[in-house]
Amino acid sequence: MIITKNLQKAFGDHMVLKGIDQHIEKGEKVVIIGPSGSGKSTFLRCLNLLEVPTGGEVIFEGATITDPACDINRLRRQMGMVFQQFNLFPHKTVRQNITMAPILLKKMSKEEADRLAKSLLERVGLPEKADAYPGQLSGGQQQRIAIARALAMNPKVMLFDEPTSALDPEMVGEVLSLMRELAREGMTMVVVTHEMGFAREVGTRVLFMDEGIVKEENAPQEFFANPQNERLKDFLSKIL
Amino acid sequence: MDWLKALYESFYNALIPEQRYLAYLSGLKMTLLIAAFAVLLGTVIGVVVAMVKVGSKGTKSRILKILAKFCGFYTTIIRGTPIILQVIIIYNLVFTSPNTSRVLVGTICFGINSGAYVSEIIRAGIESVAKGQMEAGRSLGFNYIQTMWQIILPQAIKNILPALGNEFIVMVKETAVISVIAVNDLMKMAQYVGSRTWDTIPPLVIAGMIYLIITMILNKIMGYFERRLAQGDHH
Repeated sequence: MIITKNLQKAFGDHMVLKGIDQHIEKGEKVVIIGPSGSGKSTFLRCLNLLEVPTGGEVIFEGATITDPACDINRLRRQMGMVFQQFNLFPHKTVRQNITMAPILLKKMSKEEADRLAKSLLERVGLPEKADAYPGQLSGGQQQRIAIARALAMNPKVMLFDEPTSALDPEMVGEVLSLMRELAREGMTMVVVTHEMGFAREVGTRVLFMDEGIVKEENAPQEFFANPQNERLKDFLSKIL
Repeated sequence: MDWLKALYESFYNALIPEQRYLAYLSGLKMTLLIAAFAVLLGTVIGVVVAMVKVGSKGTKSRILKILAKFCGFYTTIIRGTPIILQVIIIYNLVFTSPNTSRVLVGTICFGINSGAYVSEIIRAGIESVAKGQMEAGRSLGFNYIQTMWQIILPQAIKNILPALGNEFIVMVKETAVISVIAVNDLMKMAQYVGSRTWDTIPPLVIAGMIYLIITMILNKIMGYFERRLAQGDHH
């Protein structure tokens, strides 16, 4: 579904990604962990070109999205993204946050989009918040709405950039359980996170990134029980 | 009590004979007209300049980069030189025909000047919106223009409108400079009355009071709108 070939990203002289080759298959739940500054968020943001790679290729469903001729706006509609800071639109109601993209980009009728918003809000467990504004909601609720907003475009893959890092501890659970449910339904997911429990339980493959490269990857069982890379052993010993 | 009588007489002379109060009114009309059109023209220029400046960040487009350089040059010159100098240069450089409409001259002089300040107001307004908003819009598949129009500008406008109102108030006062190119604004009319009565100060005091009343009224109106805007805040 997503292929990266020798993906590189430099900010000025600083190489953040030093060549990453990955195949992400349909239905996979790839969890990326690693110390801060390892390039894991940058890697994720390169997948939908929020960060423009300085070398290599990203291929999504057969289309080379790093090619300047490619219509990235069209392809992004098939890739949902969830941010650490939620990034809901504060001047729109929850319902408008969800229906805006389907109405404007998919030419969905307002009635149909409202029905879609209603069913998505039920799915994320917040049906009563349709007319609230994001500023009136808790962090956990905002992140669940942000997931609903991304799902409204019916994406083929969901990218999560540290979705629980900005949340109060007691709100992490509600967001993770929603993501778990999404995984069960078969959504292809790429998740950058510090939640090791989630990585172990939900991930089909875990990547350890450090210094701009993938230093180790494995199925979660093996990954956590039997790490090979010294840096990974050190990292796991500090956080587990 | 002679001095009080003399004071009364000089103000009476500055206002009533030959229907001199009409001179102030026509001057005020000219002042407000020029200020309003100047801010309007300034807003048009300001929006374009701000869009170029904001849009040129992180783009690879050569044309946009050159335009941004040009816009930066424009704002630096306008904000770095006295407005009275700009007015005289533009007047002598561009409007050499004796039939040129003076309102037009004033509007263009102050519009060009105001545009530089308005562009900074708008740029700051846009940049005050969190960076994540642009990313969220783009990640849903909106293009740059759609995201700007649907998501960024509606949020930026709350910061822009009060500052734009302020700019209009500043303009009402600054247009007094236009009297140097013999446009009959409020300032010029006060000087004109003074030259008729051989008593310079009373007409200027009257003009000053008119400026003060107008700016106070405008401030009140602005305060009202600011409160209305704040009510729409849902944070």
